Amino acid sequence: MTPLPMFGGAAAGSLGFDRLAFGVEKAPTRSATNEDPIEARAIAAVKTGDAAAYDYLVSKYMRRVVSIAWGVVRNAADAEDLAQEAFVKAFENIGRFKTGEPFGPWIYRIVTNLGLDVMKHRKRFRHEEITDAAPAERRDRADLPAIANELAERIDRGIESLPEMQRMVARLYLVEEFGHSEIAKMTGLSEGTVRSHLSLARGKLKEKLADLHGGSND
Amino acid sequence: MTDNDNFLDRLRTGARQLRYEPDEMMSIRIAARVRERIAAESQTGIAQILARWFRPVVASLATLALVATLGIQWAEQSPDTSAPSLDTMTSTQTVDISIGGDTFSVE
Repeated sequence: MTPLPMFGGAAAGSLGFDRLAFGVEKAPTRSATNEDPIEARAIAAVKTGDAAAYDYLVSKYMRRVVSIAWGVVRNAADAEDLAQEAFVKAFENIGRFKTGEPFGPWIYRIVTNLGLDVMKHRKRFRHEEITDAAPAERRDRADLPAIANELAERIDRGIESLPEMQRMVARLYLVEEFGHSEIAKMTGLSEGTVRSHLSLARGKLKEKLADLHGGSND
Repeated sequence: MTDNDNFLDRLRTGARQLRYEPDEMMSIRIAARVRERIAAESQTGIAQILARWFRPVVASLATLALVATLGIQWAEQSPDTSAPSLDTMTSTQTVDISIGGDTFSVE
């Protein structure tokens, strides 16, 4: 098997990383406790100062983290920066991470919070602009996943038309398929607020995508 | 399950395609940059730990040296009020000298 680049040596091998490579891991599943023994060992190793072990965590959660980041910034370059920042921040604060818990929700929360900061920054910046209330950077659809069909694009437009927090919550729920409680933890909102945002988003999406639910008032 | 939930479920099915999939190059690039920054922080970390210990020690020593210098300066410059000067002694005190059982007083 191909070892991980740079850190694929003895340290990685001892953790069983040599059977993994970038891009081959499926999107990680979520659970309350860490059911991935390699991940648990990697976290323990990172906590004891083995930076090489962090490579496993980066490769495992790469796709999801980048996707969440992209949902906020809507372009590949910024999503890359945001994901990178999230992984570095997680590493810096690994001492605070509770042993035995899955790494996923933690890194998702970090990238979501960084995304929220970006949104706040953009909002402040937009207020200083004289023209056009709509964020220009979010109009760039060139980076939309190539396989997205017409239906997906309509859903995307619908989500993008939502107010800030509804958009964030709707995207995490619909696109990333997180549950209410997971979104609450990631965004720092209460579960009730998440449901409220989602309910409002649902109402607006129903108006825009009326034909998808048969135009009924369900 | 409500109709609303069904609607969201249908949306979820369609929205799944909107997940952004980083290509291999992007993944490698991010991982490499993360490694690079972590390595850089590990190196500066040692320097920071040393600095964290040395700074207070150096600051304390510098303070002590300053206090000592000022103290010496002050002690050297201030007049010694406890010890009488020669003028004071000669003007106000008498000296008793005993010679052969006789005591002489000299002012």
